[in-house]
Amino acid sequence: MSRVSSIFFLLLAILVIALSLLLGSHSINPLHLSAPEREILVAVRLPRVITALLMGMALGTSGAVLQGLVRNPLADPYILGISSGAALSASIGLLVGVYVFGTFSIPLSAFFGASLISAIVGILSWRRGTILPERLLLAGVGLSFLLHAVIMLLISVSSQEGIRRTVLWVSGDLSLADWPLLPYGSVFILGGFFLSVFRAKALNALLLGDEIAHSLGFAVHRERLILFVAISLMTSASVALGGIIGFIGLVVPHMVRFFAGADNRLVIPLSALYGGVFLCGADLIGRSVLPPMEIPSGIVTALVGSPYFLYLLSKRNILTVSS
Amino acid sequence: MTRIAVCIVILATFAFPLACDAETPGRIVSLAPNVTEILFALGLGDRIAGVTTFCDYPEEAKRKPNVGGISNPSLERLVALKPDMVIVSTDGNPKVFAERVRSHGIPTFVFRARTLRELPSAIRELGSALGVPERADHLAQNIGLALSTRFARHSPASQGKKVLFVIWPEPLIVAGPGTAIDDAMKLLGYRNIAADSRSPYPKYAVEQVILQSPDAIFFGKGHRDMEPLSRGLLKKLSGVTAVKDRHVFFVSDRLYRLGPRVVEGIEELAACLE
Repeated sequence: MSRVSSIFFLLLAILVIALSLLLGSHSINPLHLSAPEREILVAVRLPRVITALLMGMALGTSGAVLQGLVRNPLADPYILGISSGAALSASIGLLVGVYVFGTFSIPLSAFFGASLISAIVGILSWRRGTILPERLLLAGVGLSFLLHAVIMLLISVSSQEGIRRTVLWVSGDLSLADWPLLPYGSVFILGGFFLSVFRAKALNALLLGDEIAHSLGFAVHRERLILFVAISLMTSASVALGGIIGFIGLVVPHMVRFFAGADNRLVIPLSALYGGVFLCGADLIGRSVLPPMEIPSGIVTALVGSPYFLYLLSKRNILTVSS
Repeated sequence: MTRIAVCIVILATFAFPLACDAETPGRIVSLAPNVTEILFALGLGDRIAGVTTFCDYPEEAKRKPNVGGISNPSLERLVALKPDMVIVSTDGNPKVFAERVRSHGIPTFVFRARTLRELPSAIRELGSALGVPERADHLAQNIGLALSTRFARHSPASQGKKVLFVIWPEPLIVAGPGTAIDDAMKLLGYRNIAADSRSPYPKYAVEQVILQSPDAIFFGKGHRDMEPLSRGLLKKLSGVTAVKDRHVFFVSDRLYRLGPRVVEGIEELAACLE
C-alpha cells in the first residue's frame, strides 16, 4: 500500500473519531462549548467513543487472528460460541435482575459467561496436546446452537420489559458505556492485542501448515494456545462492554487484507485500528439517524457490513487468508 | 284467542333474554393486569377464574389460577378453566387471541382504553358487559372527577415545568407519548421532554436529557430497588437542573397500569413538585 493511501486512511480514521465526538443527536461546535455540551462530551460521548474503539479493536484483531488460526476466511470470533456464552449469562442477569455490583453487574456476568464458554470450547477442541482448528470451529458452532436455544427459552418466559432490555443488550448497546468499565476493558483488550501483535510472525507461519511452521522453529501447540487465549480475552471483554456487535470480526480483516496484503504483522494492527474506526462510525450513524432514539450499533454494522462484504466479493476473489 | 296467546308466549320467550340485561358471568378470565385491578375494584374478585402471571395487584390476584403471560397466554389453560367471559385489552394482548377465544364459543370483551381520558368510559362499558353498571359508573365517576379536578387545580409553580419519567436508567428507557404517564403529566401541566419520541417507551439518549435539562426527574418503581441502579445515570446527569436542585423523585408504578390506582399515581407526582 502506498504512502499516500496509508496517510489518506489514517486521516479518515481521525476524521471519523472526531466526528463521533462532535456529532450525534446534537452537533457540538468545539470552538464554542457551552456547559451542557462539555458535560455531554466528557460524560457521554468520550467514554462511548473509547468503548467503541476498544470493542472494534478487540473484534478486528480477534477476527484477523482467528481467520489465520483456523485457516478459514469465514471465521469470526463469535463462531467460537463466546458471544452466545456472554449473551446467555448477561440475559440471565438482565432477566433475573441481579445488580449486586451496580454498573459492573451485567458486564461482569457477560465476561464470566464468555470466558467459561471459551474455556469449554478450548477443552472440547483439545486433542493430541493442542487445540485442533477443525474441532475448534465445530465445538464453537455446536455450543452456540445450544446456548442460543437456552437464551430463547429464557426470553419466552420473561416479561415484556425483561425481553426488551435483553434484546437491546444483545443487539449491541453502546449507550451503557461508562468510565468505570473502561480500565478493566482496556486491560483485557489491549493485553490481547499486544499478545497478538507479538505473535503475528507465528501466525504467518501457522498459515503455512503445522509441519512447515514447526520446521520454521515455532512451537505450534504453544502458539495456538496463546493466540486462542488472546482471542478469548479480547472477545469476552468486548462483549462485556457493549453486547454483540457482529461483522467487524469477519469483514474488517478482509478489507484490510484487500488494501494491505496478508502479512499478519500489518493485518493485525490495521484490523485493530480500522475495527475501532468502523464501530465508531457505525455507532455515530446509529445515534444520528433517528434522534433521540438510538439504533443499536450491531444492527448498523450488519446493515453496512454485509452489502460492502458482498461488493468486495464480487470485485475479486478476496476470500483468502494468505496471499 | 289461543293463537294470540301462543304468539304472546313465543314473543315473551324471545323478549325475556333481551329484557334481562347482561348477567354477571360466574367465571371471568382477565388477560391484563389493569383489567384485573378494575375487576377487583368492581367487587368482582371472587368471580375471577383466571389471571396472567403479571397480575399482581391486589394481593388476592396472585392467588388466582394463572393462564400465562400477557403477550403469550395459554389458550389451553384458558379453555380448561371453563370461563363464561374473557377480557382482553388492546394494549399487550395479541389481537388474534381474542378471535381464537371466540372461536371456542367463549364470549370475549375487549377493554379499550389507551389514555387516561378513555379510562372512565371504558370502565362503564366493561361494567355493563359484566352486569354491574352501577358499580362501574361509581368507579368511573370517581376517576373522572379526580381527573377533572386535578386538571382545574393547576398550581402555578408547576406550570410548564420540564420533566422526565424514567422507566429504567441503564439503558435509559423513558415514558414517551401515548402512555398514561404522559397523560398524567399533561394533566398536571408539566412538559414531558420525551413527548416527541416515536414510541411509547423509547430508549432515550442521555445526551438529550443533558441538553434539555429537565426541572424534575421521576424514577418509576421497577422490580428492583431503583436507587442504586440510578446512580450511574444521575452521575452523568449531574449538570442537569433536576439533579442540581434535588428534584429527583422515586415514585411508585401506579401510573404504569390504566386502572383504579392512576388517581393515586397522579397525586403522587403532583405532591413531589408542590
